[in-house]
Amino acid sequence: MLRLVSGLCSLGMAVSVMGLAGCGSDTDAVTAGTSTDRGSLVYNPPLRVASLTAPDFQAQLAAQAAGQSLLAIAGAPTCGVDIYHIEYNTVGGAGEKTTSSAALMVPTGGAAAGCSGPRPIVLYAHGTQTDKTADLADIQNPSNAEGALIAAVFAAHGYIVVASNYAGYAMSSLPYHPFLNGDQQSKDMIDALTASRTALPSTPSSATSDNGKLFISGYSQGGYVAMATHKALQAAGVAVTASAPMSGPYALEAFGDAIFYGSVDIGSTVFGAMVTSSYQHSYGNLYTQPTQVFEAAYAPNIAADILPSATPIATLFADKKLPQTALFNSTTPVTGNAQLDAALAVPANPVFALGFGTSNLITNDYRLSYVLDAVNNPDGAVPTPQVGVPPAAAPGNTLRQDLKTNDMRSWTPARPMLLCGGDQDPTVFFSVNTGTMQAFWAALPAGLVTVLDVNATPNPASPFAPLQVGFQTTIAGLLASGGQEAVVENYHTTVAPFCTVAARGFFSQF
Amino acid sequence: MIARFAKIAFGTVAATLAVCAHADEDVLSNSVRLGAYYITYDTSADDLRGPYVPPGINLKLKDVVTPYFAYVRRLNSHFSTELAFGLPPLTKTYGKGPAKVGSVPYNDQEIVTARWFAPTLLLNYSFFDESARLRPYIGAGINYTRFYSRKSTAAADAATGGPTSISLTTSVGPAATIGLNYRITRRFYVIASVSASQVDSDLTANTAGVLRKTHVSFNPRAAVIAAGYSF
Repeated sequence: MLRLVSGLCSLGMAVSVMGLAGCGSDTDAVTAGTSTDRGSLVYNPPLRVASLTAPDFQAQLAAQAAGQSLLAIAGAPTCGVDIYHIEYNTVGGAGEKTTSSAALMVPTGGAAAGCSGPRPIVLYAHGTQTDKTADLADIQNPSNAEGALIAAVFAAHGYIVVASNYAGYAMSSLPYHPFLNGDQQSKDMIDALTASRTALPSTPSSATSDNGKLFISGYSQGGYVAMATHKALQAAGVAVTASAPMSGPYALEAFGDAIFYGSVDIGSTVFGAMVTSSYQHSYGNLYTQPTQVFEAAYAPNIAADILPSATPIATLFADKKLPQTALFNSTTPVTGNAQLDAALAVPANPVFALGFGTSNLITNDYRLSYVLDAVNNPDGAVPTPQVGVPPAAAPGNTLRQDLKTNDMRSWTPARPMLLCGGDQDPTVFFSVNTGTMQAFWAALPAGLVTVLDVNATPNPASPFAPLQVGFQTTIAGLLASGGQEAVVENYHTTVAPFCTVAARGFFSQF
Repeated sequence: MIARFAKIAFGTVAATLAVCAHADEDVLSNSVRLGAYYITYDTSADDLRGPYVPPGINLKLKDVVTPYFAYVRRLNSHFSTELAFGLPPLTKTYGKGPAKVGSVPYNDQEIVTARWFAPTLLLNYSFFDESARLRPYIGAGINYTRFYSRKSTAAADAATGGPTSISLTTSVGPAATIGLNYRITRRFYVIASVSASQVDSDLTANTAGVLRKTHVSFNPRAAVIAAGYSF
């Protein structure tokens, strides 16, 4: 009996002690890849973020005003869309190993409707994002307008979409973003493509497969990245069916010169912070002390890679971590050279003048040193276009050197390309970028490079005429409702859906 | 919280030890019970949080019936200890929230199955004289719950986006019971009781490295009907 009592008491004690000691998790293992080779998947199969039938996707879009506009431009979805978040290994701006992520959007539905079976791939590059957590796969997030755009325009119409979030964003392990680093960003895109091709057969959407046609597109920063990716794939001997870079800063050195001369674009402080962070990490040649480039109030923030950030950009502006518009000081440098001083003065154009203020980002000394180098080693497109619009032969300023390194006036496409944009774009200047590339490639065979200005007078014979009419009607509506300020503020983003649908139409020829 | 439970546990064990030494050798001091547990859950959980989770994603549990076993040790004419446990039931968790996540059905879909090993140690007090045929009793003690054989169903994998592993942290919490004991013979009796325990757990779902989490209070309520044999 005593033994039994003792047994009970021991059991009671054992249960109690086991309970107290056993409060940890009891977790099953999750298989993860071990390779860190470029383009290898971190997880396979990847996470399916959403699975939408065509009617559900249409209903989701129709529930919001922006979605209704998108449906009107892109047309109703004809396919369902499965959206995957993939993580893959790639490299950073200095060649360091890192991870990046992408959205893989797979059309689903009947093969006869062009929604499954062998389908073409659109490799898509997104525009500048200040939100470090931004993820194109997060299709339920109302702020993910670009993810919804490419899903609605491409995936819901039968294209497999591979869209990198870029290293430095979402779940990437890179602590900065290699903004407008053509070599890194094209590698990131190519690695996203490799990883997606590996992942697709192991997903529930494997009824859809790669048919071998590869299209490349992207908007704004992504327009540049798309062109850089086309260049890199062509150099590697990989077949590209066609590409459609849109509203991108292709002629980077010319664009930089235009800005430093005083034609400051909308968003310049964001782009300035991001491009200097990127090039300093990639090349380490912009400064030894950030105050050599930036005003003391902002220099520590730029050096600490303030962008992209999980903090909303409006908060960063409100907290004076970054000036909202003032790239340069409104008291401009005085050199004694009347012509140069006039070039450096605050411009009469009110949009460019927004880039000047008293709480400015870039010091007068740095601006002057940059412009003096531009005067002594001029770019062939800015300020005065030269024959062939070449970049400067030997720029001395290190930022100009870096911009030239990444300038797209360094190659010639061998496959068809559509360059789409709007000629009044105050964010990424059309003439300085698209116009310069058009001039640079002027001698190419007709039809190889097509330029579409959605703001140009529509040619009724052009398949793009309805998009031009639609864009111009939208801008007229903006002007009527919000005045010129609304147009300036929204012009760049308004171009995007019209050019994206134009890209789809362009790709459909092949 | 753990310290509080530790005090309860050690208090229970100390009381057991204290009265064990005075156990009356003339009465039947040990008994075993066999019966049925009907377990219902008053589950409350935070909405699942993590990447790609739309608002309002929650869960609920379906009631289960499982065999009940207990060992009871008489301490004196009023006090006894009870170690009760059920044959670990396959507990089914169902989606609670929107009808669909994207186009994937969610609400009322079976999403997780798991088995629980959940012994409860109780110190019971029985009313009336020991010779009475019908004796109500109340009890309090401690519950230990460990989850195993956790499985995400195909429906859940479709909603969460792929093969998903589930972890549930082990729970230690207070338990209480109230019941009736009806003596049929000297050795045989039947009991009916209801009991409640606090079972809290942190649930983590891992799908391709993406973690979604929630805190779940299962709040099980159990009704028991059992037959006992004293020796």
